[in-house]
Amino acid sequence: MINPQDLRTRARDLLTTGEVRAVIGYRHGSRGMAAEPVVITHPDEAMSLVWDPSCLHNLALYLVEDRKRLARRQQKPEKPIAIVAKGCDTRAIVVLMQENYFKREDVYILGVSCEGTGVLDDRKLYYHPIGINPDRLERVAFDGDNFVLTTTEGEQRLSAREILADRCLECRNPFPKMNNVVLGEENARTFTAPFAALTRFEQTNKTQAAHWAFWQNQFARCIRCFACRSVCPMCYCEECIVDSITFSVMPDTTAEEKANRVRWIERSASPADNIGYHMTRALHLAGRCIDCGECERVCPVHIPLRLLNTKLEREARERFGYEPGASIEVASLMSSFRDDDPNDFIR
Amino acid sequence: MERILDKGNLGDWIAALDGWEVFVPLLQDDVWGYRPLHLATGELRLDHPNTTQPPKGFAFPQREVFFTFEQIKGEVPRLTPLLPKSRQRVVFGVRPCDGRSLPRMDRVFTEQFDDAYYRARRKLLAYVGLACNEPPSRNCFCRSVGGSPVSSDGLDILMTDLGNRYLVVAVTATGEALMEKGGALLTEPSGVDHSEAGRLRLEALDHPQRTVHEEASIPARLKASFASPLWEELARPCIGCGICTFLCPTCHCFDINDEVATTSPLKGSRVRTWDTCQFPDFTMHSSGHNPRGEVGARLRQRVCHKFQYFHENFGVFQCTGCGRCVTGCPVGIDIIAVVNQVTSAATFPNTGEG
Repeated sequence: MINPQDLRTRARDLLTTGEVRAVIGYRHGSRGMAAEPVVITHPDEAMSLVWDPSCLHNLALYLVEDRKRLARRQQKPEKPIAIVAKGCDTRAIVVLMQENYFKREDVYILGVSCEGTGVLDDRKLYYHPIGINPDRLERVAFDGDNFVLTTTEGEQRLSAREILADRCLECRNPFPKMNNVVLGEENARTFTAPFAALTRFEQTNKTQAAHWAFWQNQFARCIRCFACRSVCPMCYCEECIVDSITFSVMPDTTAEEKANRVRWIERSASPADNIGYHMTRALHLAGRCIDCGECERVCPVHIPLRLLNTKLEREARERFGYEPGASIEVASLMSSFRDDDPNDFIR
Repeated sequence: MERILDKGNLGDWIAALDGWEVFVPLLQDDVWGYRPLHLATGELRLDHPNTTQPPKGFAFPQREVFFTFEQIKGEVPRLTPLLPKSRQRVVFGVRPCDGRSLPRMDRVFTEQFDDAYYRARRKLLAYVGLACNEPPSRNCFCRSVGGSPVSSDGLDILMTDLGNRYLVVAVTATGEALMEKGGALLTEPSGVDHSEAGRLRLEALDHPQRTVHEEASIPARLKASFASPLWEELARPCIGCGICTFLCPTCHCFDINDEVATTSPLKGSRVRTWDTCQFPDFTMHSSGHNPRGEVGARLRQRVCHKFQYFHENFGVFQCTGCGRCVTGCPVGIDIIAVVNQVTSAATFPNTGEG
């Protein structure tokens, strides 16, 4: 089992020697159980780093943010930046490298193995037979196949399998293969078949009409907070299809030009615009999404976005034998063509 | 007017509210929200935590159509104003923090400028509140922003859960009218009811809550902290989504766009939608310059609007302490901790009030 102290020592040493300019990791926050992302630059801060099943976030997002921040300040990175990364997070980093967002030597990966479990889905606690209010949860810790939950009423030990996030149950590669240093063992494990949530959905919604009705209902409640987009490391576009920030208004811009500026999707949280937004985002993630599940986790109105993304992930796997984030050596799905690629859908 | 309502009679009282469109807290698709009564199944109970979204949208919906327009070549453009045609609406189970958000929204939308769209919805809206015998969330902090778990501010009726019955207290004339529709379902409270309510009230006021410190000096301390490097440091994890502001009961920033349905002939509608200071493009100028280009400036805007600018304009904090932005933030940005850290670091002139 990973001793968080080892992680702290590694991070501290990296900052002390000046090998990296910052470490992106997790620490405990002020508002409840879940860990929160932190970027530390001083060796002393390394002591606040944690590693437990509440380390939900895919920190690869902050590698993207770091790049954008440097670009805004017209600075170039002189040293690599270190990141605490789970198996899924390292696959996101691979995709970003495939897309030349940064190079391997720009990032120092402090890999952490999920060691046969993964991270918590606190919504499952409500539905667990013992019924824990996640709001009362103070801490959660790894303990082999179990999680130890500390609530205001005391300690509970639950089988991790019952309260793991769906993405962790379905995860095939919980070990961060690409790393500079790795903590924890590589454990083989199988919780559910791949794409289990998607399969369950397809078994309950068999027809195209049922799918459509399901998604219309889901998207109707979207409030367009764009948390799904903002939290996604792959959604790095400077201008998204839902924004219109590059439209310049000059003294001679006519009212008609303003009215007719290209707006693919309106700001209104209307059913049609919501569907336009979510479908576009899903397609832009085809062959890129590594199923970190962050979009689904952060959605304040609980839209099951993984169903869309894993559907496209399965298409890529079944039709093209492609697995996003598997290797930096492979060209990305959307930028490569092989003679034996299936083309029967071209009519 | 004070009355007692057996919990089993709540549904019957609501059924007697003819002429009113009724909304109740329901858990649907894993999300607590105020939904139309007809979606409720089984016996109606008000045992909800605070809803994911506040009832803000009843007076200030996320999308409001101002008017439609049509331009036929050679003719004067035709505008058709659209004022909302709402029925009388009553929302049950509103928590005191959300009740207190309503007078704050009123000041913004009716005081200096009278917003016809807001007013049209607002004048037909009634809130039936439910006192919080226990804080519904660990991130509740109403008491340190001038509120209370038993506040009736902004409500038409305040109900208190007395176990198997509610104490129902009218706050406004609208509230009295709603209670009168209940007829014999609502009965005179006894001395026992009053003493039980008094006990629960004291307990509610005594439950520990999180707090923003040095309440009285927060506006001045924030004013002194405009250039603090803490803003950027504390905002570093911010991903720039709209959760904190879209779930806020008092955030009211909006955008106005013309949504063009057809270009020939030119037809469409002018629409107001919620907007948020947390989106990077909120302050983007057409020149490309963005005065709030970094996350720190955007966090500062959100916090200072709640705790400094609104206070300077209206003499009260805009924040009502519901805690939704704290609980909902995907990366743990905590307005309570931010206010406390920034204000305690403030180089603040000692005027004796802090």
